[in-house]
Amino acid sequence: MNHRVGSPTRRVAALACALAALLGGAQTRGVYAAAASGPVVVGGYTFVKSLGGIDEYHLDGNGLTVLLAPDHSAPVVTFQVTYRVGSFNEVTGTTGATHILEHLMFKGSENFNDPKGNSVKQFLERVGGQFNASTAVDRTTYFATIGRESLEGYIAIEADRMRHLWLHEADRQSEMTVVRNEYERGKNDPENVLVEEVTAAAYEALPYHHPTIGWKSDIEHVAIAKLHEFYDTFYWPNNATVTVVGDIDPSAALALIKKYYGVHSASPQPIPAVYTEEPQQSGPRRVLVKRPGELGTVVIAHKVPNARDADQPALEMLDAILSSGKNARLYRALVDKGLALNAGAGTDLHRDLSLHTVYAALAPGSTHEQVEDALVEEIAKIKTDGVTPAEIARAKQQFVAADAYKRDGTAAVASELNEWIGVGDWTLYVTFPQKFQQVTPADVRRVAKQYLNEDQSTTGWFVPVHPGAEKGS
Amino acid sequence: MIGHNVLKKCALPVLLLASSSAGATMAEQSHRTTAAGVDLVTYPTGVKDVVTILGALPAGDAMGRSGNIAIPTLAGMMLDRGTKALDKFAIADQLDNVGAEIAFGVGTQSLEIRAKCLKKDLPLVMGLIAAELRTPALKAQEFAKAKQQFIGSLEASLQNTEGRAHEAFGRSVFPDDHPNHPHSIAEYIAAAKSATLDDLKAFHAKYYGPAHMTLVLVGDVSAAGVQAEVAKAFSGWNGGQDYIRPAQPASASGPREISVPLSDKPSVSMILGQVTGLKYRDPDALALRVGTAILGHGFTGRLMGTVRDKEGLTYNIGAGIGEDSIADGAWDISASFAPALLDKGIASTRRELQKWWSEGVTESELADRKQGLIGGYFVGLSTSGGVASTIVTSIQRGYDVTWLDGYPEAVKALTRAQVNNAIKTHLDPSTMVLVEAGSVRRE
Repeated sequence: MNHRVGSPTRRVAALACALAALLGGAQTRGVYAAAASGPVVVGGYTFVKSLGGIDEYHLDGNGLTVLLAPDHSAPVVTFQVTYRVGSFNEVTGTTGATHILEHLMFKGSENFNDPKGNSVKQFLERVGGQFNASTAVDRTTYFATIGRESLEGYIAIEADRMRHLWLHEADRQSEMTVVRNEYERGKNDPENVLVEEVTAAAYEALPYHHPTIGWKSDIEHVAIAKLHEFYDTFYWPNNATVTVVGDIDPSAALALIKKYYGVHSASPQPIPAVYTEEPQQSGPRRVLVKRPGELGTVVIAHKVPNARDADQPALEMLDAILSSGKNARLYRALVDKGLALNAGAGTDLHRDLSLHTVYAALAPGSTHEQVEDALVEEIAKIKTDGVTPAEIARAKQQFVAADAYKRDGTAAVASELNEWIGVGDWTLYVTFPQKFQQVTPADVRRVAKQYLNEDQSTTGWFVPVHPGAEKGS
Repeated sequence: MIGHNVLKKCALPVLLLASSSAGATMAEQSHRTTAAGVDLVTYPTGVKDVVTILGALPAGDAMGRSGNIAIPTLAGMMLDRGTKALDKFAIADQLDNVGAEIAFGVGTQSLEIRAKCLKKDLPLVMGLIAAELRTPALKAQEFAKAKQQFIGSLEASLQNTEGRAHEAFGRSVFPDDHPNHPHSIAEYIAAAKSATLDDLKAFHAKYYGPAHMTLVLVGDVSAAGVQAEVAKAFSGWNGGQDYIRPAQPASASGPREISVPLSDKPSVSMILGQVTGLKYRDPDALALRVGTAILGHGFTGRLMGTVRDKEGLTYNIGAGIGEDSIADGAWDISASFAPALLDKGIASTRRELQKWWSEGVTESELADRKQGLIGGYFVGLSTSGGVASTIVTSIQRGYDVTWLDGYPEAVKALTRAQVNNAIKTHLDPSTMVLVEAGSVRRE
């Protein structure tokens, strides 16, 4: 499918959650305050908690987590299942296995497949669904937005392929070359190559080191038995979260989920955890990528805490001040001065150590040294002088508006919830914006000083080689 | 287990029922009027507090062909760089302080206006959109920066295989004087270097005006309130030009094979296609579209089903019709292949194309695709952005909003004979143009 491989990158516009309540004077906030009617009681489920109009349940028989967010503004539903497995769970020889398995999830399952005329793609395209799947470092997700009357049909298919997937060698062979072409398409873009190499240099031990799509040789040679082993290790209800956003009756939705997912048992063995820890970085690292191209790029990366860490809202604020809009510091210092075509900052949020980056695409006539110096200088200014209350206030207001924007459409809500599920705590969908509103100028300065240090940095340059020029140094 | 037949029979009628029970028809829900010369559509939805704005004004690339071809894009780039009253940082301040967004983009024939704001901020945002369109500062210093950034982005795109393939395809199938004929990146770079601010001011004076401009506001809006804001913001503005509608459609120019060599590209972008001679409104256009969807839309299209799923030759392959809303458009198959699999991939693509063209589509394929297109149409209308985009495009195609309510029935009414006849009449695989961009061997 058209997968997004990689890790979630947080941006102000993408991340903003509901905070109108805090600034607007309301007493409570809810993603779907008008629709939310509170938790319901359905046999076989344990209600866990409600937050922001989202209710969490556990299916008692197998440990499946279910999130419901009713929204009756349109007769559509987004249904997604998030498996807590990603490229972080791979080792040398099986890199890319999570992603190949995601492809094979569309090759049919015992009860829903092409020969029967009811495979997932046949069903969803017949009802006009918008659907896909994506693999990231910490999670794998399957999702569709469909008319509400098609919900049962899709749940039945998703539940079936959770435990009854066809995994045939012939399918692996034909899909391997499909995935290899996806890999090749990514290599067409030198900036993508640069980010992969910077990431690989930044992470020495953690499996974020390798790209989610995997190394080419692993894509080509991983055995079907290994993929089967991977599937049988991670594709279980107790390693998954089902999310339903849209025009649903919560009791009916829970009953459907139980009807189709309730037939599965929990995993016979505990889901294995990764125990590897990243060693302390002991000096700056540098990466140089030389490929055909026209204009260069500079990326400066720093490892920062996991997505759930209390310092993440301040880092988010730092990124907003650096890169959000024409008043952002990087725009003024690099783009407006003609050094860069664009510049920005963001964090790839991870369940374990996340990766913060500042980057710029060189404008014609500027040099890598000039651009890198300008990026470093802007970081240094924040460490030395801090940020202003006006910058903080502006970023906070942008979050408030973005909260309202994201309520427009079930798919956008489900997609953002998915990223928080992936990093280990869906409630951050609700609480992260609240924490963001509490960030102070001192917090921003502190996190800049604490995490954006030269000795902890990995800097990458994409240096274009013009046609006819020698590639070697 | 849910059976295939049960799902197939139930899905469509229930969806239509759900849609109508959720509200009025598109025509009943929307309100279209003229405010200060602007064609204005408002469409309230269930979303709270949010207003989505989408607009189009005929000031796209095609309008630059009588002068400097870089000017339409540069004019669009200058809009958010200050007005007569506010510099660009003051504008950004006003927007950032309320979390509102305004963006402009330049396409083949249109300047596209996109904005989003909270309901309470609509007067501010509408005022800024109007000021940016009507009275941009057009300062020399900002013009120089815009030129540098435009040239830089053009240079960066020189290495993009998909972009280069589309450029070569468009230049090959559309005649030089057709609005869909793209200029080359090298031509744009040269034009941008020589562009003057006087050229830009003259272009702005001629093309920017309300005469053929459309604005669509969707979300938490009332027709009366929006009309008052637009009338106030655009009061006294005049001028504007219509879209370019060629008197004669382009005709297929015969088979050609074009290579665009680019070094070190592990994936080659391929395009195979031709002009259709059809605009979206032409009688056979919908039938050709539905037939094309059967060949190359989504994961159940024939191309994905064979060239990708069965043969594993590509990550992505699809067929579509483009640029036919205003002028006659082009039909193409686009795909990516590893250089070593390129010949095999092209052969498979041609085989499926020939089979589809000569044998046509089946009744079963047509029934499934019609159902999917209608279902997808309703799913697409579940966001403000989807509604706004659908309305603007329909108006550019020359329809009123009422036409949208008839779309599902129009699709439903298509027969297999109509679809197959449209394929045979308007396409001919033997005259198609093949483009390969990347590390190809036939350099």
